[in-house]
Amino acid sequence: MLKAPKHQVAGHLASDGKLGPLVDDLGRFYKPLQGEGRGSKELAFYETFSSDTRVPDHIRKFFPVFYGSQLLEASNGSGLCLHLVLQDIVSGRINPSIIDVKIGSRTWYPEASDDYIKKCLEKDARTTTVSLGFRIAGLQLYEGKESGFWKPGRKEVQSFTVDNVRSVMRRFVSSDSSIGNENPDCSFAPTIYGGPAGILEQLLELKAWFEDQTTYHFHSCSLLILFDKESVLKGSTPVAEVKLIDFAHVLEGKGVIDHNFLGGLCSLIKFVSDVLSESKASSIEADVESEKPHNCTNNGNCT
Amino acid sequence: MLKVPKHQVAGHEAIGGNLGPLIDDSGRFYKPLQDGERGTKELAFYHSLSSDTRLPDRIRRFFPSFYGSQLLEASDGSGLRPHLVLQDLASNHLDPSILDVKMGSRTWYPEASDDYIQRCLDKDRTTTTVSLGFRISGLQIYGNKESGFWKPSRKDVRNFTVDNVRLVLRKFVSSNSPFDSNVTPDCCFAHSVYAGPAGILQQLLELKAWFEDQTIYHFSSSSLLILFDKESVWEGRTPFAEVKLIDFAHVEEGNGVIDHNFLGGLCSFIKFISEILTDLNESTTEARFAEPDKKCLCNAP
Repeated sequence: MLKAPKHQVAGHLASDGKLGPLVDDLGRFYKPLQGEGRGSKELAFYETFSSDTRVPDHIRKFFPVFYGSQLLEASNGSGLCLHLVLQDIVSGRINPSIIDVKIGSRTWYPEASDDYIKKCLEKDARTTTVSLGFRIAGLQLYEGKESGFWKPGRKEVQSFTVDNVRSVMRRFVSSDSSIGNENPDCSFAPTIYGGPAGILEQLLELKAWFEDQTTYHFHSCSLLILFDKESVLKGSTPVAEVKLIDFAHVLEGKGVIDHNFLGGLCSLIKFVSDVLSESKASSIEADVESEKPHNCTNNGNCT
Repeated sequence: MLKVPKHQVAGHEAIGGNLGPLIDDSGRFYKPLQDGERGTKELAFYHSLSSDTRLPDRIRRFFPSFYGSQLLEASDGSGLRPHLVLQDLASNHLDPSILDVKMGSRTWYPEASDDYIQRCLDKDRTTTTVSLGFRISGLQIYGNKESGFWKPSRKDVRNFTVDNVRLVLRKFVSSNSPFDSNVTPDCCFAHSVYAGPAGILQQLLELKAWFEDQTIYHFSSSSLLILFDKESVWEGRTPFAEVKLIDFAHVEEGNGVIDHNFLGGLCSFIKFISEILTDLNESTTEARFAEPDKKCLCNAP
């Protein structure tokens, strides 16, 4: 039985009778081919990529597994439509916190139409794309059984400032991430961002590949960053994952690196590193504080 | 006595009665403050840089030394005008081959006027700036005492395609005459100039490491100046290869964000230089297998 995904944070949504992706219970994600040729571009990318022997395995794991394409009933009732069959990246995760980060200080590319370029330029200038080299396209933060998910709408997310983005990156790894809290504790930063299997390490692996590969230019693609608190508490692996998604505008590299994506990726890495360093610094301060000698009086009062 | 620089490859030039920089015989470069905000911004940047304690020394050496400012007679006869007093980067080279590479896939910045942004955007799209993340603004390649320098015009340089750039980066380190457009560049000096612990690539990688971390400055429209002495290498001495960062009329504060625009372009440039070395290594290995007794024709180690 196909249904609308529970944890989709960006892109077209199948809910409300619109055309959007669907998931099944077996870990598959069915993405309808987008209109105006973008869908076939994405299909062509997945087909090329899955048979590209130059892509090393440790990089391939950042891409959703591709199972081919299938004709299915479209979610908006418009009849049979070709769908990409992909790995459902969030399947198996309970209440995942997810951020969709569109990477690159420009989302347009020279070969696009003037109209498309103009629209992209506008959006890039309005959002943090130009200033940060990336923007948040969507997110959901799991805040607990009572509060559920904080899932800001499209409009709110597009109006995020650089400071808002910094705040989101902190709240993402905090145990006290409720919206009123001005100083999130970033207590999960060492486990989610840090460590040998953490987000930072994965981003650095991707960075090394982007400094070298000249095959693909990933315009308007997103990094999906996800983890779930349950996995953290249970210590199950992988705790946190980075996936590269949305390949409707991938072009040939033609011997040039994807410097647009790389610049934005380095900027994101800096933001994540900063949260990690701050969280380490504050935990060292806390340790130092707790080890200070106490002066205790006879009745047990300490200072 | 102040005179027109012999080795200026880009930017406004003082020749023909225009307003441009001058040099003296003591290794100083006098750059007239540009009109409007740009001059004062560049002066302010140099002041800020010279007193910024956050800058490590090994990064400071990439910037021209700054000696303050001085009122001088402008080269276009317009009277006294403040000039930046900087280190003349070519003064300790004899006949330097020079590349001026403007870094970044965009030369505009958000705070600029709409008009300025549009002009930059047009230039960025019609040069290799958008495609490569950098463009060559000017260059001169030393041939020999008779031929002198090959110095393509501003127009030619602006029209360089990605393939032209690839070719120029190879010609830059070749012993073939730079005036000859039909010969495949031999990349004879690539190892001594690009590779090694004092080579161009190593210096670029040092800069890259700094740009992955520093959030103090955003260098819009700044250039990397790459210089070396071909004659020095011919005579078996070090090429004295240098990388310098120049042109700070449009430097903005980083505000806690890295200069991802400059960094992306820098990584792209690094890839192009690295590839020349990799291609050389592959072809040398092939050649050695094919003709083990054949020696390289030039004096390169």
